[in-house]
This record gives sequence, structure tokens and C-alpha cells, in this order.
Amino acid sequence: MNKFLLFLLMIPSALWKRLGADVEQLRAILHVKLMMDNRKPLSFGNNRGVEHKKKKDRKYTTWLTMLFSFFMGFVYVFPIIITEFDPVIGLAFFYTMFIFIFTFTLITDFANVLIDTKDKFVLFSRPVSDRTIMLSRLLYIMIYLLRLVIPMSLPAWIVFGIIKGWKGALFFPFPLVLLVFVVLFLVSALYLLMLRLASPGRFKDVLNYFQIGFSIVFFAVWMISSRMINPEGFKELRVEAYDGVKYFPSYWIAVCWTWVEGAAKVLPGTRWMSILAILFPIASLWATVKFLAPHFIRGLVASDNDNAPAVPVAKSSGKKSKKQFYTWANLFNKSDAAKAGFVLTWLQTSRSRTFKMRVYPSFAYVPVYFFFILMQGGRSFTDVWDNLSEGQGYIGLLYLTTFVIMQAINYITMSEQYKAAWVYYATPVDKPGDVIAGAYRAMWVKYFMPFMAAISVFVLFIWGGSVLFDIILATVNITLFSVVIMRMSNRALPFSRKEQMKDSGFRTMVRVLGTMLLMGALWITHYGISNLFYLDKVVNNTFLSAFISTTWLTVLSLVLKLVFLVLSSVFLWLVFDSLRNTDWKSLQKSEQYL
Amino acid sequence: MEPIITIRNLSKSYGEKVALNNISLDVYPGQIIGYIGPNGAGKSTTVKILAGIIQDYSGDVHVAGINLAENVLEVKKKIGYIPELPEMYDLLTPREYLTFIGKLFHLSDDVIESRTVRMLDSFGLKDNLDQRMDSFSKGMRQKVLIVSGLLHNPQIVILDEPLSGLDANAVIMVKELLQVLKAEGRTIFYCSHMMDVVERVSDRIVLIDKGVIVADGTIEELRKDSSDSLEKIFAKLTSSDDTVQRAGSFASAFTDHMEKPTADE
Repeated sequence: MNKFLLFLLMIPSALWKRLGADVEQLRAILHVKLMMDNRKPLSFGNNRGVEHKKKKDRKYTTWLTMLFSFFMGFVYVFPIIITEFDPVIGLAFFYTMFIFIFTFTLITDFANVLIDTKDKFVLFSRPVSDRTIMLSRLLYIMIYLLRLVIPMSLPAWIVFGIIKGWKGALFFPFPLVLLVFVVLFLVSALYLLMLRLASPGRFKDVLNYFQIGFSIVFFAVWMISSRMINPEGFKELRVEAYDGVKYFPSYWIAVCWTWVEGAAKVLPGTRWMSILAILFPIASLWATVKFLAPHFIRGLVASDNDNAPAVPVAKSSGKKSKKQFYTWANLFNKSDAAKAGFVLTWLQTSRSRTFKMRVYPSFAYVPVYFFFILMQGGRSFTDVWDNLSEGQGYIGLLYLTTFVIMQAINYITMSEQYKAAWVYYATPVDKPGDVIAGAYRAMWVKYFMPFMAAISVFVLFIWGGSVLFDIILATVNITLFSVVIMRMSNRALPFSRKEQMKDSGFRTMVRVLGTMLLMGALWITHYGISNLFYLDKVVNNTFLSAFISTTWLTVLSLVLKLVFLVLSSVFLWLVFDSLRNTDWKSLQKSEQYL
Repeated sequence: MEPIITIRNLSKSYGEKVALNNISLDVYPGQIIGYIGPNGAGKSTTVKILAGIIQDYSGDVHVAGINLAENVLEVKKKIGYIPELPEMYDLLTPREYLTFIGKLFHLSDDVIESRTVRMLDSFGLKDNLDQRMDSFSKGMRQKVLIVSGLLHNPQIVILDEPLSGLDANAVIMVKELLQVLKAEGRTIFYCSHMMDVVERVSDRIVLIDKGVIVADGTIEELRKDSSDSLEKIFAKLTSSDDTVQRAGSFASAFTDHMEKPTADE
């Protein structure tokens, strides 16, 4: 597969040459990069502890990723079906979804490839021009995009072929290539521009916060727009109703369909825009390579930390400044190993850009998700807000905080510097479980506790003091849930595992879904107990009503909640104890670190 | 005198590959052992076993009378291990990193603080105490690494290529430090490729090749009345005395296509 894609990308080598790249070097760089990728272990769903499984497994990495994308692709079939009525707007809609999802993937995952400085000693010291290096990276990312695009668009391709016949089937892949170009060059132009404008030392931080902000916006827009679109309205979807669409590249690309079906309806006077669809990607490619590439490496090297001036973390006062987290560490941990794990995790998570990138957006997901759920059925925001205190939405809101702790504990075992974990093995650590428990507590205290507190204040403000017990129960349940996950699937020393960059956006989405299901079970039980009053209505007119009164149900509800709380607490204690007693035998061997 | 380290019939394999083949060795307190050998000879494996990092070996290892296999934690407390590569969590500052290490050794906050400041000060890093290590040069990292290995006042110090990346002044300081540590009765296990340094600092030299000890003694004993340098002895014993010829054949690889080095490029 990679060989085929590499072959495809090297077809326009005359163009690459004109853009100032050395084609032979370009091919060599791409070949090595792809070869290395195929030797990396599988990025999702694998047991990272067992890295020396059969070599064969790794060969299937590419194929498995593609299979996964194929299933994701069924989501995008929908707008294609409506193309029966109005193909141009249907396609425009389809392309918009694709542009959206790929921009997201690019900005969060692959853009780091573009600005990677890991191979600086290998490449930057050799006679390879900036343009060659930059183009090699762009094409490398492009191969990744194509590997996602091809399987993801396959279901839509088939459906489109059925509706529009062989002409449609033949036409379909062509605009997608244009689309990939548009996304790739827009995003890289943005990054390179930032590299030029931001001061080198700050570039990576600026980028980091940009990525976090973008993920949040993306998520909010995605959730809310998918909620606001009324499926019934699709049947009425006509291109005339969306005049503004002509300003977007996805529409230009969709207009290309008129080459095949001349009679297809477009906005008046926009037929020529299909030319834009071709010109725009080429122009952006040219502009990116011509204007932004020349200072590419200089900017990258300057932004690299090795060359940046040392940044003091705190004023060196000669005396140790007692920091807040040391107090927390002493408060929450008894053993020295746990304290060490607590402080290390606290500091690393404050400073690791990858960690922040992956975890901070989830803070914003909570309120977004909350309103997304409430706005189901096309309710407006003001409608939801005005009637908020009447329902029992607070239970859902409280349980949504699970995202925060889940994302945090998912990434504390990973680090770019996982090799530094040798110290655990060379120091007299009796039970590594202590260090792991300390790391968990750090995440609980640092992220979950303040977040839960803020949500609780909001909940108490809207719903009143009577829900206090629910807050306590939810806190215990979420803690229990996260400790179970930590114990089952994430039992490793903090920052001792290799980062798995590839497709992390997808992995996040899959995990978010899984988490939602499990968390849902706890939430529904809690919700059910709180809603015993409905029983009252059910039995109201039957003979049972003589036995069941509202007071009785209130008492029953409280008792059940208390039982639930006690059970959860006992389980929490048991599971946490088991986590804390993790011994060396259940962890990875030390060999990989040195 | 009782040996502080006793190794008997120590073997270790990685799958098919034998890294250590039946090694036996006694080390006495206050000695500096120069542990040398070609790449892949088994040096690092030996010291990683001593440091308690690799635990699945066969044979007996006793450190200060404690059986390593039975009580690895006690042994780790007595050993300060300074690995070859400065792999550290470099998003932390030296002060934070050393506090972390100190906690793993159960040191009190005050002890960690005073040792950290004083040790880093003697390496000239006092001004860098609160700077993140990701901006540090290799030598600066190496210095923090050395401090992290000595922080808990170990009886035995294992140094794997400790001088790599250090500037000339720091090299002199480390060499002095070795003598001070030795004078205090500590045992030092010194792995290196730098023969001249090994020759000068070591009381005893152990040469290992292909997992077997091929020479063991003082530099005088190894010379056996010849005036060879340690480098020469090393070459002879590790059967690579045709180095001159090999270098010649390496250089002749260019001549295949009759290319001459060009000056104008």
C-alpha cells in the first residue's frame, strides 16, 4: 500500500522539481519514513506491554487503520444519498464534512510531523534543501491523509456509483484529491505563517494553545451543528437555499460535477467556480513552497528548545520556595514513593505540551456535551436554559466530569521521555503501586477535584442544596470508575510508556464512546434511584397505590442512595488498594529503558 | 578483608545472545575498578545487574553481604548508579528532579535540599537550579545525572561512561571526585572506553570480552613487564590488533570509484 502511494505521489515529480525539490532525496526520505512507520507497533487496541509479538502483526498496521477508517466512512454516506435530489449541494455538504474532519485530524495530529525536529541531526546536517525537506513532510502527511481518505470515502463512493452510474463512480475520487490538497496546504500555510510570526521560543507554546482552542471549537461546532440539522429538512435541501456556500472551497469542488452532468443545478453564475477548485490547490501549493519554505528550517531550529535560552521556572531565590503541590503531596500521600509519583505527575502534566493538547480540550467537552444532550429534539438554548432547574439534568452534568479524569489518567503513563523511567528500577522502590497511586491522586487533586467543585457550585446554584447528596454519590462513583479503568487498562508507572502519535484523534474518539457507555451505567442507576417518584404515577390508579405513598418513595430513594454510596465506597477502597499494591512482577521489564 | 561485591558464575542471555558467560569477580571496599571491554562485551549488562535493574540472571551476586536476588531493595540503597545516557524527565528543573529521586530513596526534604544545592553548586550549576533541563546542554544534564546518583550517599558508585559530554574542567572535577570518594572508603565501578583515564584512575582493571573476563589485575600486572599502554593491551586481548589494517581497508573503500576528496565543495 505504501509503495503504491509513494509511486502515486512521485508521478508529478517534474512539478516537485520545478518547486525546487531534489526528487531523488525526496523519494529516499519518504521511503525511509514509511518503512519506519510500518515497523512501529500498532497504535490502537494493542497491549503495549507486549511489544515483541510477531513481526507480522506490525505489517498489518496500515491495513487495520484503513479498515477502521472504512467503518468510520459509513457516517459520511448520508449526504451522498440526498444527492439524488440535488447532487451539487449534496456533494458540497459531503466535502464540507470531509474538510472539517481532516482539518481537525491535521491540526491535532499530523501537523506535529510538519514541525518535528527529531531528524535534525540526520537531515539538517546533510545537503538537503529546505524545500525538499518541507515537501517531503507535506507529502508524508499527504500519504497519511490518503490512507484515511480512501477507505473513509469508499462507502460513499459505492453509494454515489449506484445512484449516478459509472460516470459518477469514475468521477468520484478526483475531487477528493483536490480536497486533500486544499486542506493540507491551508493548514500547513497557517502553521508556517505562525512559525514566521511567533518568536521562536514561544512558537511551540503558541501552537499548543492554538491546537487546544481549535479542538474545543471543532468539537462544539460539530456537536451543536449535528444537533441543529433536522433530518426532515434534508429532503428539502436545495442549492438555492444556501447562497453563502459559494464562498467555500467545498462548493467549488462540488461544482466540478457539472463536467459530468451538465444539467446539474448550481447557484446562478457559479458554474465557472469549478476552475477555482483546480486553481486554488495549485496556487496554495505554489505559495506555500515558494514563500514559506525558504525559512522553514531556520525557524524550526530556532523554535527548538535546545537552542532557546533557558527559561527559569521560578525565581531562583537560593531557598526552596514551598509550592502548593508539595503541600498537597504531603497531605494526600503517606509513603515517599507515592509523594514522588504525585509531584512528578503534577509537574510533568503542567509542562508537557502533548499532555495539555490531549487533556485540556476535554474540560470544554463537558459543558458542550451537557447542552448537546439537553438540546436534543431541536430545543433552543434559551428554552433549555430557562427550564434547567426543573429537570434532573444535574445528574448527567455531574457524571460528564468523568471525561476530565479519564483523559488525564489515560495519558499520565505516556511520555516522549519514557526512557527516563529507568530511575524507578534503580532506586529502592518497594511497591511500584505506590508511585502509581501517587500519580493517580495527583490527577484527582489537580484536575478532577477543582473541576468537580466548579460544576458542583453551578449545580447547587441552579438546583439548590437538596442535591448535595447526589454530588457526593457522583464523586465517589466517578472516582471508583476511573480507578477501575486505571487498574484494568492503565497500570503502568507514570511517564514510562512510549507515545503513540499515530491516529490519536481517532483513538480519543473511540475511547470517548467507550467511556460514555460504561459511565452511562453508573449514571442511569443513579438517575433511576432519583426518579422513583415516577413509580408513584405508574401505580397511582392501581391497587398498589394504597401501599406506596410519596413520602415512602422519598425515604426509599434516600435509603437506596445511601446503600449505593456505601457499596461504591467499599469497591473504591478495594480497587484502589489493589492498585496501590501493584508489584514489580505485573509491570514491564526494565530492559526497554536502557 | 571481606569483598564488598562478590559475583559467582554470573550468566545472562537475551534470547539466543549470550551477554554474560559465567563471570566471577570479587571487589574490595575502597577500590576503583576500571571495567573495560569492546562494544557489546557485557559491561553494561554487568552493571545493570549490580544496580538491581536487570533481575533475571543466573548465578550469585552478593553486595555488602546481602544476596542481590533476595533483597534487591537493600542493595539498591547502597548503590549509586549513573547510566551512560542522561535519560531524565527534562521538563523538570534539577531541583525538582533531584527532589523526586531523593524521595524514591526516602531522604528527608531538608537533606535533599541541602545536598542538591551544594552538589550542583560545586558543578557550577547553582544558577540553573530552577531552570527546566530541556534547555540544558549534554554536559549540564550529565552533571545533574551524576548528582542524582550520589544524592543518597551510596557506598558503591557505578559510573557508566561518566565523562561523556563534560567539559575539561568538569572532567578534572570528576576525576578528583573519584579520588575523594575512594578516600572515604567507597567502592567505584568505572566503565569506560577512555583507556587513558581508566589507566590513570583505576586501582584494578577488569577487561571483559564476549561476556567473559579476559584480564584482571593492576595496570602493572596487565603489562607483564612490557611497556604497552592499556590501549595496546586492550587491542591485543580483544583480538583486534589488526586495527591498522582495518583502517586502511576502510579508507580504501573510497578508491573503488576513484573519487578524490574535493576541497572546493
